Amino acid sequence: MSFKKMISLILAFSLTAGLCACAKTDSKKYIAVIAKAVNSDFWHNVNNGVLSAATEYNVSVTFEGPENEEDYDAQNALIETAVKNGADAIVLSAIDYNNSVDAVNAAIREGVKVVTIDSDVNSDAVSLFIGTDNIAAGKEAGKAAVDGFDVDSEIIIGLVNYNADTDNGNQREKGFREYISTVSNARIAASVTAESNEVSATAAAERLLKQNPRINVIVGFNEWMTLGVGNAVKNLGLSKNVRSVGFDSNIISVSMLETGEMDALIVQNPFAIGYLGVEKAAALISGESIPSGEVYTDVTTVTKKNLFDDDIQKILFRFK
Amino acid sequence: MRIKRRKISLSLSALSILSITAACVVAVSVCIAIFSAVYSTALLNDAKLSSGQAVGQIALAVNNNLDSMRQKLEFIEETVADCSDSEDFCNKISVITRMQKDIYAVTVYGENGDIIAATNGDTSLKKQIYKDLSFDKSLFESAEGFTISSPHVQTVFEGGYPWVITFAAKSDTPVLGNGVYIAIDYEFSEIAKYIDNVGIGRHGYCFITDGDGNVIYHPQQQLLFSGIKRENTDFIKELSDGVHFDKNVIYALTTTQDGLWRVVGLSFTDELAVERKTQIIFSIAMSFLFCGIIALIVLRIYSKIVNAPVRSLIKAMKSFENQAENFRYTGGNESVAELSIISSTFEHMAKTIQSLVERVHREEKELRKTELKALQAQINPHFLYNTLDSIQWMCEQGKTKDAAEMVRALARLFRISISRGRELITIKEELQHAENYLIIQSYRYLSQFSYSIDASDELMDCLCNKITIQPLIENAIYHGIDRMVDEGEIKITINSAEDGSNDILITVSDNGVGMTKEQCSKILSKDRSDSGGIGVKNVNDRLKIYFGEKYGLSINSELDVGTTVTVRIPKIDKEAQNEF
Repeated sequence: MSFKKMISLILAFSLTAGLCACAKTDSKKYIAVIAKAVNSDFWHNVNNGVLSAATEYNVSVTFEGPENEEDYDAQNALIETAVKNGADAIVLSAIDYNNSVDAVNAAIREGVKVVTIDSDVNSDAVSLFIGTDNIAAGKEAGKAAVDGFDVDSEIIIGLVNYNADTDNGNQREKGFREYISTVSNARIAASVTAESNEVSATAAAERLLKQNPRINVIVGFNEWMTLGVGNAVKNLGLSKNVRSVGFDSNIISVSMLETGEMDALIVQNPFAIGYLGVEKAAALISGESIPSGEVYTDVTTVTKKNLFDDDIQKILFRFK
Repeated sequence: MRIKRRKISLSLSALSILSITAACVVAVSVCIAIFSAVYSTALLNDAKLSSGQAVGQIALAVNNNLDSMRQKLEFIEETVADCSDSEDFCNKISVITRMQKDIYAVTVYGENGDIIAATNGDTSLKKQIYKDLSFDKSLFESAEGFTISSPHVQTVFEGGYPWVITFAAKSDTPVLGNGVYIAIDYEFSEIAKYIDNVGIGRHGYCFITDGDGNVIYHPQQQLLFSGIKRENTDFIKELSDGVHFDKNVIYALTTTQDGLWRVVGLSFTDELAVERKTQIIFSIAMSFLFCGIIALIVLRIYSKIVNAPVRSLIKAMKSFENQAENFRYTGGNESVAELSIISSTFEHMAKTIQSLVERVHREEKELRKTELKALQAQINPHFLYNTLDSIQWMCEQGKTKDAAEMVRALARLFRISISRGRELITIKEELQHAENYLIIQSYRYLSQFSYSIDASDELMDCLCNKITIQPLIENAIYHGIDRMVDEGEIKITINSAEDGSNDILITVSDNGVGMTKEQCSKILSKDRSDSGGIGVKNVNDRLKIYFGEKYGLSINSELDVGTTVTVRIPKIDKEAQNEF
């Protein structure tokens, strides 16, 4: 080996080593979280989880959602904007199971990883779903609805659900109906659909209760429907006669539990949903292979009885 | 041979590079092993120290905080002592709760948890209180003066469920009639300010537990509550105050002054390891560079001391192999002892071989000479017999004159043959010898041939090998003329070569039957088989041995026309005789 060869070899070697040492200073990854809404307690908690995970995994995040929880067009626009802004991953909770498929697939074609949380979208290209097992949650709601009734008493149920195209609402109702079908003395008498806000939900629930006076169980399938149900029961003074079951929690629905207008809440783990959504998205970006499918977060049934148990406190009340 | 030698030289340099590289790698590995061991220990100690310090500082801050809470509690106690009724209390206290952000509410409890007075400054009490988590009679009674509850949500005010811990003191004198306990619901903001901003290493953090290991405040409280993260509180509970190291985690613990809380600091050495890795990679690169330079220097020195002498030795051997005769080599100057020995031994060997070769050469030459001399000394018995027979016949015929002539010729022939043992004689003498032979033969063959000699006079004193011409004449007679029907003719010429080579050309030509090419070459390659005389080949060999390859015989023959044999010898004056 000649002198020159030796020198070049050594230089090349030291250069490589130096580069190795200097590498690994890449820029922060960007994950766009697109929610159904930004104003409910549920989504506040999701946002907290998102921010926590963003700090933990050193990614930058945005948390956005449409003004109106029914507006899938606005949500599709948010997806497109996120892709345009160079998002490495999108964490999406789809308002509409079918109408966001094109936008999602377009994003995936651009190389953006998509993880859905809370509410899935009808696309096989989505990497992962993280959220509540809504069918199981629906069954929990069914269990809570018939709890406390005698075997021979007649259970007449009214449902208040929201946007008929949303995956999670449908799944919950499906699970609920499945459970109720196994209870011989229970039947679902009527159901109404409301827009996903408190005013519309309250009006729909009042209408339902007025039109079906025999109803002794009423169920709301998300945070707003639950408030609507509670308000209707309160406004009509039916808290003694009607058992009301709802999903998610906020200060008002919890205080309704205390005061008796609400009898059971099926509480999800929004913080974990937000946290895991960003965590998995960050892992996907960094090239880890994650088996596609569903990651289910737990649900808890909260009643007046267990409301202030240590464990339930932690689930129910957000730590600021 | 060539390929084999190259292989050896290649493997030699490869071996040297390999050994140096191996030495470097070993050196570097050892260095790095030592370095990383020392470094990681130092790093770990550093991390432990900073961990302990951070936790100590937090504990100090928490202590101050607890002290200030106690003072506030005492102050509130004094304040409420003056209050005339619940409204007065609320007015006074709400000022405090508004000013102190971390105080969410102040409550005065009766013996059994009935709220005598309560305010949080902003919102009103619930009309219907389902459960008051702030009141815990057994806890309040458990210690003199000052107790702290676990974290819980505040449930008695409208508008929210904030997480608080309750500081409570039992009042010695009844407050507002029958108030027994004064409680402050404390939000974590003040403690959080310290705890949240503490970083130990990159991902390390601090949190507070109570004596049973239950988490009081954790910067990632929400993660804990959501079940995403868990602290191994059972393990931590058992640890004593101080710094502990277990499974890549450094635990630093300090108990607060009153012994109620513990500040726990966690930091992770795997992140130290990452930091260390980059540093180690850097140091590896540096050491490799360093080793590379050293290897280079060593290699240079090595090649100067070992490779270069070896190469020159090989070169010398190669040239010795090609030409041993004029080979000159001086060895023994190498700085490596073994190489020096090899090279001086080679020198010695080369010299010995050279002298041996020379000696063999000389002896060979000598041997040939003696052989030739012996041959020359031999008298062809056939020739002698035939000649004597002819002389006898002449005498019987009374041709005494002819007989005398023939005897004279025979005598002279022998005299020159013997010629006092000299190999080289003058051309004049050689010619005489040839002529005498021709005389004898012309008598014997009874004028079957005639002969002529044409020699330039200035060459007469030049030297030539004796018995050079006679065998050629003999050849011409036996193979050329003897078989002829007509009278033959033998011509002898001696001239300087006209090609400027300073050589002498002697030709013996006849007009006999001639020879084919095969016969010509056969004559030059084969010893005469019949009588014991000196053959044409012998003449040729002798000339070549004496004067070199360039000299000797050439035969030009054509069937039925004749044969010309040309002898080329160098022109050597009589004076130069002694050189040969």
